[in-house]
Amino acid sequence: MRTTTPFRAAVIGLLALTLAGCGISIPSDPDGTLDEARDGVLRAGVSPHGEFVVVEPGASAPTGSDLSGSEVEAIEAFADSIGAEVEWTVSSEEALVRGLEAGDLDLVAAGLTDATPWIDKAGVTRPYAETTSPDGSPQKLVMLVPIGENAFLTELETFLTEYGRAQSGEAAR
Amino acid sequence: MTRETVRFGHTELPERQVEVLHRAIRLEWITIAFLAVTVTLVFLVLGNSQAMKAAWIEDLLSFIPPIAFLVAVRINRRLPTKRHPYGYHRSVGVGHLVAAVALGTMGTYLIVDSASGLIAAEHPTIGTVELFGTSVWLGWLMIGVMAVIALPPVFIGRAKLKLARELHNKVLYADADMNKADWMTAVGSIVGVTGIGLGLWWLDSTAALFIAGSILWDGLRNLRAAVTDLMDARATTFDDKKPHPVAAQVDEYLRGLPWVAEAGCRVRDEGHVFHIEAFVVPVDGETPSLDTLEEAREACIDIDWKVQDIVLVLTRELPEVVESGAPAETKNSPAA
Repeated sequence: MRTTTPFRAAVIGLLALTLAGCGISIPSDPDGTLDEARDGVLRAGVSPHGEFVVVEPGASAPTGSDLSGSEVEAIEAFADSIGAEVEWTVSSEEALVRGLEAGDLDLVAAGLTDATPWIDKAGVTRPYAETTSPDGSPQKLVMLVPIGENAFLTELETFLTEYGRAQSGEAAR
Repeated sequence: MTRETVRFGHTELPERQVEVLHRAIRLEWITIAFLAVTVTLVFLVLGNSQAMKAAWIEDLLSFIPPIAFLVAVRINRRLPTKRHPYGYHRSVGVGHLVAAVALGTMGTYLIVDSASGLIAAEHPTIGTVELFGTSVWLGWLMIGVMAVIALPPVFIGRAKLKLARELHNKVLYADADMNKADWMTAVGSIVGVTGIGLGLWWLDSTAALFIAGSILWDGLRNLRAAVTDLMDARATTFDDKKPHPVAAQVDEYLRGLPWVAEAGCRVRDEGHVFHIEAFVVPVDGETPSLDTLEEAREACIDIDWKVQDIVLVLTRELPEVVESGAPAETKNSPAA
């Protein structure tokens, strides 16, 4: 089909322009989440869940010092890796997911698994660790990011994979 | 090595066509094997890209024409019976229609699906996979897979196109034509995924729309061709570009006979072979002998292997629907 040649030419031209304009970085974020968090503020939302996210009882407006748990630690380590300070939000899962959609949050953790129903509302990371649920079945842990922010997602997944490996290495020792 | 006789109904295929048929069957099996690999590979890296989804569905649909072809050439071999006096040739047309409807439906679905994604400004999310201990962005794998599978179908398609002409098989032609255009799907999805990589989320849905449009276009074009044949339109060449020359050859032969004043035939395309009704006006209205008629019929069948069932009809004047026959005269042609 000859008609496609102008189409392809247009696409190639457009790609070239874009590459020239913003420097080559693939994947990148349509809304610039990673760029804004790096050396800045990582806006993390958490919801208390088991040993993953624990909130100090009685803390009315919880800050970092009131939080503990494996995922809280993981997020802090991730923020360190990109030179960011964490700004915590503690709320219900639904409110946090809405925060992701509205662009008010960069990341959500709440002991979520790869069976999470939020799949249409948020980007779901690759499982980064495996635990055992209370009923004894294996669970794969994931976190949520804003939809389509692929550079941020890639950075987080790459970090979590390394982090998870290091953690299980420590546990084995 | 002795070849068994291959028939399409009553028609024994000439040696050349038997060889072409065997090659076509082999190529279609190769196509199916290739598609099985392609569909699996693309499925493994599918992710959330709409363009990849469109490309994958197109690959899935690409199974239909080769399967339709293989089934049709098998059914075709059956002899005509009392229950099926015209034989089983139309199985080709039925296969063609089924493939066309499937293409049209999926094309429409994908257009709606991609357009709604574009309108809702859905940003496709593509993360990483772990490959040999490192995290790799899945988009790279998508681009790699599509680049690898882009070209082989083009060559397979070209090879099939030649065979389709010799076999006069429109399913094979449709299939070859689709294969030939397959690289555009691959390029389209590469463009879409690259778009996602660059943060241009809309490029993915746009590429998917382009792929879906090509699927729909294939469907509509084939639907027209299939329906035309099933409606007994005048037989055309395998690519539907012009009237098939066999009709003119039969006309010419009959008109050349000493006892024929006028002759004209109507030809139905049964898939591979033609059913022909040849109307003949004898000189001085004199009925020729059975032997004369039989001789003329045999000679017509010898013109081309595709002339299978031919019926000679003696008549006082030619019906309006056939090319009128008196040489150098145009008395019967409707309004010039």
